[in-house]
Amino acid sequence: MIYPLIYVFAMSLFQTNKLGGLIRFSGLTNFIAVMSDAEFWRVTGRTLLWTFLGVFVKMTVGMVIALLLNVKFRGRMVARMLFIAPWASSVPISVLLWSWVYTPQFGLLNHTLAALHIWNNPPVWLGTPIPAFISALWVDIWIGVPFMALVFLAGMQSIPEDLYESAYIDGVNSVQKYFYITLPGIRHIILIATLLSCLWTFNDFNAVYILTKGGPVTSTDILITSIYKNAFQWLHFSKASVMAVITFVILTAISVVYARYYFKGEQIS
Amino acid sequence: MNWRNRATPVAVVLTIFLLLVMLFPFFVMFSTMIKTSQEVYTIPPRWFPHQPTFGNFVTVWAQYQLITYFKSSAIIAIAATLVNTLLSIPAAYAIARLRFLGRRLALYIFLVVQMFSPVVVVIALFKTFGALHLLDTYLSLVLTNAVFTMAFSIWLMSGYFRTIPVEIEEAAFIDGATRGQTILRIIMPIAAPGLVTTMIYTFIYAWNEFLFALSFIQSQPKMPLTLGLYRFVGRWSSQWHLLSTAAFLAIIPVLVLFYVIQHRLVAGLAGGAVKE
Repeated sequence: MIYPLIYVFAMSLFQTNKLGGLIRFSGLTNFIAVMSDAEFWRVTGRTLLWTFLGVFVKMTVGMVIALLLNVKFRGRMVARMLFIAPWASSVPISVLLWSWVYTPQFGLLNHTLAALHIWNNPPVWLGTPIPAFISALWVDIWIGVPFMALVFLAGMQSIPEDLYESAYIDGVNSVQKYFYITLPGIRHIILIATLLSCLWTFNDFNAVYILTKGGPVTSTDILITSIYKNAFQWLHFSKASVMAVITFVILTAISVVYARYYFKGEQIS
Repeated sequence: MNWRNRATPVAVVLTIFLLLVMLFPFFVMFSTMIKTSQEVYTIPPRWFPHQPTFGNFVTVWAQYQLITYFKSSAIIAIAATLVNTLLSIPAAYAIARLRFLGRRLALYIFLVVQMFSPVVVVIALFKTFGALHLLDTYLSLVLTNAVFTMAFSIWLMSGYFRTIPVEIEEAAFIDGATRGQTILRIIMPIAAPGLVTTMIYTFIYAWNEFLFALSFIQSQPKMPLTLGLYRFVGRWSSQWHLLSTAAFLAIIPVLVLFYVIQHRLVAGLAGGAVKE
């Protein structure tokens, strides 16, 4: 498991040939080349925005769905199964399906928005930079929400019910129940789920690549698609590896901050 | 008793609204899969075709060995789930409850695997499996999927274990239970929803995994469903009615399985274990 990672690090420090073989040690030259490229910074900024928005929306919507599904009502098993559907469906195929949904002339999304008078002049989703970014982000969110909802729900279900029972006897209202029992009860789960979600969202390749290939031009590229293009389309293995290493550093930083929170307070208990 | 949450009209309306939003592409899929190739491209597009047809199912079924793909996917996904579950439960328990040197380091190392997208490591993994003569085998995919989901399972399971009060376990120890018994009889039943979630996660990951399958598997009979579908979908670049049909056929087994697991496994594990 570790070998592939070491090889990536090695490639970032060497000049490489078109097959990814190491030719000559070149120290930090590759890093300097990448860092002085304005496009790289644009892509990095976009990736951070992408990750932040993606994880934030997934968490919020996932939490709302989990709370809804935690309520006892008829048909909630079916509702739960339906909410899982976007996640259960194969990612490359769902993304292709989305590209059909987004089609301007024949696609049912724009038709429905216009027909219901929600949005009379919807944009050409994948053809212009900002709508394309939003479209791809939405597909990433759409795939990620069910996971969040399911994980939160499972956490809520392992909170012992007598806690709620005694809270009820003490006359606690639902909002207080949520903030004093549910939320602290699933604190660890939330931390873990958001951390993993950060890593996955940051590295989500399929949504961007299949939907827009990073386009129009490079306006929707995030780091991972940029790495892929550099490595497999243009065979710039060193550049791709440098970006992979930088990705690794960013993600490690995020993880360390998270892990601090995760382990915080455990000595007391 | 009515200390449980009750469904309010607001909750019902919100649920339906969210379902409509989340299932939107599936409605499009249903609409498209019963259209003829002419009706796919009408302006304006219609939700309900004038001449609904089931011909697309016949076409997809006749042209592609879906059964073979299903079988491969099932073998890979079930094996990966088993390997993952068997390894991650003890690991997660150790991390949640036991104190040992390097515990945090172990958790970080599991995370490191998640920091590299499959896109980055696939070449090196390809070389590794080549050297081990494991290319084009189910085993290569079982191992890769089990390892790539391990971080998630361990982190999440340990999170669930930590929500369980230590007192419950201590009570079991006092009654003379060994640690193994405590895990099996006390911890697992309470953490059942969490266990099911991680198992479903691993299964879905392995079932839908694409990039590794694309890189490691060459022979047609061993191809999992995603790969098989994607290959012919690529051929039908603008045949959206066939794509929709294929997408529909691929998702059904997962949903059925999910439904069964929810009913059987949760009930089976949790039944009788926790006091009501």
